[in-house]
Amino acid sequence: MEVGQMQRRLIEYTKSLFMEGILDDQFLQLQQLQDESNPDFVVEVVSLFFQDAEKLLNDITRALDQQSVDFTKVDAHVHQLKGSSASVGAQRVKNGCIAFRNFCEEQNVDGSLRCLQQIKQEYYHVKNKLEALFRLEQQIVAAGGSVPMMELSF
Amino acid sequence: MQAFAVMLLPTALIPCWYSMISRVERQVNLNSQDFHSKLHYEIENTEKFLHPINSSATNLAGVLKLSLNGTKLSFSMIETKVAPLLFQAWSTIPYLSQISYTGLEGLFFSYYTGQNQTLAVYSNSSYNSRSSAPNVKKNLSCYIQHVNHETGELYGNSIECPSLNLVSKRWFQEALNSPNGYASLETGWNNSQDLILLSSARINGEGVISLGFSAQLLTTRFTSIDRQGGSLYLATKDGKVLIEELKNTHMVLAGNMVSVQLMKPNGEKKVLGNVSCIIKDGSPRASTLNIQGTEYMFYCSSLDIVGVQSVYVLAFPQKGLVSLVRKNWIVALALLIVIITSMVVSILSFAYIFVRAAKREMHLCAALIKQMEATQQAERKSMNKSLAFASASHDVRASLAGLTGLIEMCYEEANPGSELETNLRQMDTCAKDLLGLLNSILDTSKIEAGKMQLEEEEFDLAQLLEDVVDLYHPVGIKKGVDVVLDPYDGSAIKFSQVKGDRGKLKQILCNLLSNAVKFTCEGHVTVRTWVRKPSLQNSIIASSHNGLMKYLQCLFHKSNEAYNDLEAMNAAQQDPNAMEFVFEVDDTGNGIPKEKHISVFENYVQVKETALGQGGTGLGLGIVQSLVRLMHGDISIVDKEIGEKGTCFRFNVILSTCDNVSCNNTKAEDLEMVDGSHIPELTLSTPSPGLWLRTSSSKLTVHSTPSPKVTTSHVVLLIQNNERRRTSQRFMENLSIKVSVAKQWEHLPSTLQKIKHKENHSCHNSLGKSDLSSPSGYLSSSASNNSSGVEKDVPLSSMDGSNYMLSVFKRTTPKFASSFILIVIDACAGPFLELCRIVAEFKKGLHNATCKVVWLEKPTMRNINFKHIEEDLVDPNDVVISKPFHGSRLYQVVRLLPEFGGTLQGNSSKLKEEIKFQAEKVPKDPSSSRSKPRSPPSNGILTKEQEIQEIGNSNDEKPLSGKKLLVADDNVLLRKLTVAGLLKLGAIAETCVNGQEALDLVCKGLSDQRKLGASNILPYDYVLMDCEMPMMNGYEATKQIRKMEKSYGVHIPIIALTAHTSGGEAKVAIEAGMDVHLGKPLKKEHLLEAIRYIDTK
Repeated sequence: MEVGQMQRRLIEYTKSLFMEGILDDQFLQLQQLQDESNPDFVVEVVSLFFQDAEKLLNDITRALDQQSVDFTKVDAHVHQLKGSSASVGAQRVKNGCIAFRNFCEEQNVDGSLRCLQQIKQEYYHVKNKLEALFRLEQQIVAAGGSVPMMELSF
Repeated sequence: MQAFAVMLLPTALIPCWYSMISRVERQVNLNSQDFHSKLHYEIENTEKFLHPINSSATNLAGVLKLSLNGTKLSFSMIETKVAPLLFQAWSTIPYLSQISYTGLEGLFFSYYTGQNQTLAVYSNSSYNSRSSAPNVKKNLSCYIQHVNHETGELYGNSIECPSLNLVSKRWFQEALNSPNGYASLETGWNNSQDLILLSSARINGEGVISLGFSAQLLTTRFTSIDRQGGSLYLATKDGKVLIEELKNTHMVLAGNMVSVQLMKPNGEKKVLGNVSCIIKDGSPRASTLNIQGTEYMFYCSSLDIVGVQSVYVLAFPQKGLVSLVRKNWIVALALLIVIITSMVVSILSFAYIFVRAAKREMHLCAALIKQMEATQQAERKSMNKSLAFASASHDVRASLAGLTGLIEMCYEEANPGSELETNLRQMDTCAKDLLGLLNSILDTSKIEAGKMQLEEEEFDLAQLLEDVVDLYHPVGIKKGVDVVLDPYDGSAIKFSQVKGDRGKLKQILCNLLSNAVKFTCEGHVTVRTWVRKPSLQNSIIASSHNGLMKYLQCLFHKSNEAYNDLEAMNAAQQDPNAMEFVFEVDDTGNGIPKEKHISVFENYVQVKETALGQGGTGLGLGIVQSLVRLMHGDISIVDKEIGEKGTCFRFNVILSTCDNVSCNNTKAEDLEMVDGSHIPELTLSTPSPGLWLRTSSSKLTVHSTPSPKVTTSHVVLLIQNNERRRTSQRFMENLSIKVSVAKQWEHLPSTLQKIKHKENHSCHNSLGKSDLSSPSGYLSSSASNNSSGVEKDVPLSSMDGSNYMLSVFKRTTPKFASSFILIVIDACAGPFLELCRIVAEFKKGLHNATCKVVWLEKPTMRNINFKHIEEDLVDPNDVVISKPFHGSRLYQVVRLLPEFGGTLQGNSSKLKEEIKFQAEKVPKDPSSSRSKPRSPPSNGILTKEQEIQEIGNSNDEKPLSGKKLLVADDNVLLRKLTVAGLLKLGAIAETCVNGQEALDLVCKGLSDQRKLGASNILPYDYVLMDCEMPMMNGYEATKQIRKMEKSYGVHIPIIALTAHTSGGEAKVAIEAGMDVHLGKPLKKEHLLEAIRYIDTK
């Protein structure tokens, strides 16, 4: 594939991610933080987010499986997940977390489980998308091109 | 039910009452009968009492018979034997009115009472009764002689009187024949012919003793009995009436019957009825007769008076006691019936009313319940609507934001100048308008829901005002309306540093200004502000419309809401720093009719005539009012004077001033002024300079000042807009600056000529004489003295306008002997080239004065093109201001004057730069151009750099270079992110994973610094602290650090980081000792802003 075409595709793809509300401008901030001294910053941060989120999701799932659910614990986990997702700009996961915390406050197990399911779905969604994005970037780099920077503002 | 109970009572009482009454009646009847029988008894008693008199005649006869012993009586014997005996009897027997002895032969001797004297009548001749015929008896003579009533002897002459001829009388014969004596009713022998009861008895068949009792005396015995209204009738059996008391009646005895006859006035008699005198069962029978309309009870009974058989009749009027009782009984019954009926009627009516009232109440209750249900339903509906509304508008806003973003994106891509671009721009404007509308609706619903809360922060009020006015200035200029910020008395500048809700205040001002600009077609819009001490009254009015009532209610009810309100109010009141800021937005637009002055503040109300075609929802002023009230103020429309156009909105809010800050600022300014200018020449040695200078003559001033002449500056204003010219002039005059005004550019040359003349003239004079003609110079010296320390102690109330000003603008006395002339020219006032020429000419003519020109140009039309103008016309030192001439620009221009720290040509290029900077960039940071002497030494580099960055407005991305920061966060992701961000900003970052580590690091750093002997240098310039961490959370760590650093005497700025964005967390963070609170994820701009805030603090 031609480099220019790939670059256009990348831009289209990134735009679509923003349009769908999967990512927000925090992700742009991340991209801006990346420079020559720190070329893989975004990938590092996002993979950290993946680790963190998977661990937290497991914790939450386990906590909710318990006979008597300790909602303060769940809430703390969700809070962390919210922080993590917000810092990479995974907007939908973050929104899911906000809803989840409301259920935690109400101590609503059913709602929490539903929410958890939703968050998991969103998480895998965003994970797939981001991984696809990174693959595309790598392809561009491998083809000798540079990754175009996005300039989006709301 | 009650009514029946009440009715039951009289039905029980009436029989009771009836029986009682009948018992009384019976008793009364008995009593009266008793009385009647008592009367009978009494009469009988009287009769019995008289009874012994009956036998006295017989007894006397017996005694005489014995003393006579059957001898034939001669008159002499009668005189000697009978007469004394008669006299004895006469003296002893009561009621006796006459006593006599009558012999058959005609001998006669008697005593009787006549003319109140005892008289004796006797006849001493006798005749032979057997032979003589009755006619002979007439010859017998009779004599009357007086009697000595003690001895019975006769004395005086005897008078002859006609013979009584007693022998032939019927009673004499009867008595002679009856052995037991005889009694009858006769007439007496005295002259008055009184009725007497004669009781007689025979003596040996030859004579008769007769005792005569006065009937009148005896009957008085009967009549004297108390008969209680009864009448008595007494008659002998043979029909002779003794007593007859009943008037107009006559009673006739007929056997055992008494017939009662009525005597009519014409003499006729009418029989009324008969009364039977037969006695049954020992008591007489009563019979009732009607005499002339009156009922009488008649009782008849026989009686024996001194042996005379007689009959008496007692008549009682029926209307005695009984009839009285009976009558009263009827009246009482009638009364009772009336009472009962009235009672029944009243009870019934009461019951009726009661029932009706109950019915009505029930109806009302039902209506109320219905109404309440309806209200509740309506409230629920409204609530649901509000909620739905809020969420809907939130969504709409989100999509609108997306729209604007997309439009912007497209805008970038569109070819400039193409139709697409203009369309996009229009779309953008529409979307922004929509957003504005939506925001106002959202605000309204927020206020309605009571969710609006004040967000207190410190800010520069003067700056805010200037920003707002500058924001609307271009809009106004486009319409040909000038938007002017009037400095007024300068109080707002003095108390510029305030704490309050900046955003809402700005919203209010923006709203009012946009309204004013929108509805004004020509003229100007003026914004002015001043400060005053809050008065209680204002505050009360601010709390609500009927504040006093509410206040009272609060006192009594202490209902929670109201009480809280009051608390808040009191809090605002008690805050010693709380000041009342009054704002006025005055326009020359269409105006609002007076009757609409109140209603315009209601939601959705617009003044139809003026709002036509202007758009808007009519929510703006309602929101403004709500916001103003939220800030403990009130808004109203000030009445304009007749003939003046437009509207003037005035509102007041309570803001607390930050005294320390303003003090420090002024101090800093002081420092700056002293640095910038030279040492004041005017060091007075008089004991109390301020006082002396004001009172003494100016000569003294001159003598006491060894320095050269103090000159004054002169300002020439040529400003097109009246209002701006007026406000600027007044402001400068308040600062004791000489101001000359040219209203049109044609007047400028003459004005300048005048000044030039004066300048040159005074210059000559000043060589020999003191400058008497410069009052401002004289004033300035006193003011400069005052400002050193006295100024701050002056109580607020006594501060007048100029004092406010002077406290802001410190006067210093310049060294320069030459006077200074500042010309402020509106570049649009006339043809620019012409103006330049005039000014250049003026400058050439000046000998001993310095001149500076400030050009004001309209921001929208850049008509000053210096390149096209010859060099000799325009001084490179001239200042050009392209922003509206007010606020900070005005102050900067004033500071150009040497008295206010301005310098002359040498430094003027720098000044120009500064002003230009001020003009170009709507300044966000009030302290940007002024240095910040208070910032800690370690920040020195940063401050400079910042300044450079800001002034240069460059895109230098490393504002934090050389800074060392500590990042404490347990989340590796966030830590990495933060560090990367900091590195990008040029800072050095150290990390740790919890509060304990952070504490240890800070501790170590501090002790290391101490070892190096530089304990005042901070180990970390800033600490970014996550709040929720394992081991030790951010709050606790901050508390510990604060505790520890105290011993070192330093303050490490700590910035809190939380994922919570609510206000509560921020509060906790600040309470824990953190300086600023930021939300996660960390944004570059936020961090920089926070650092700037910390540095300025």
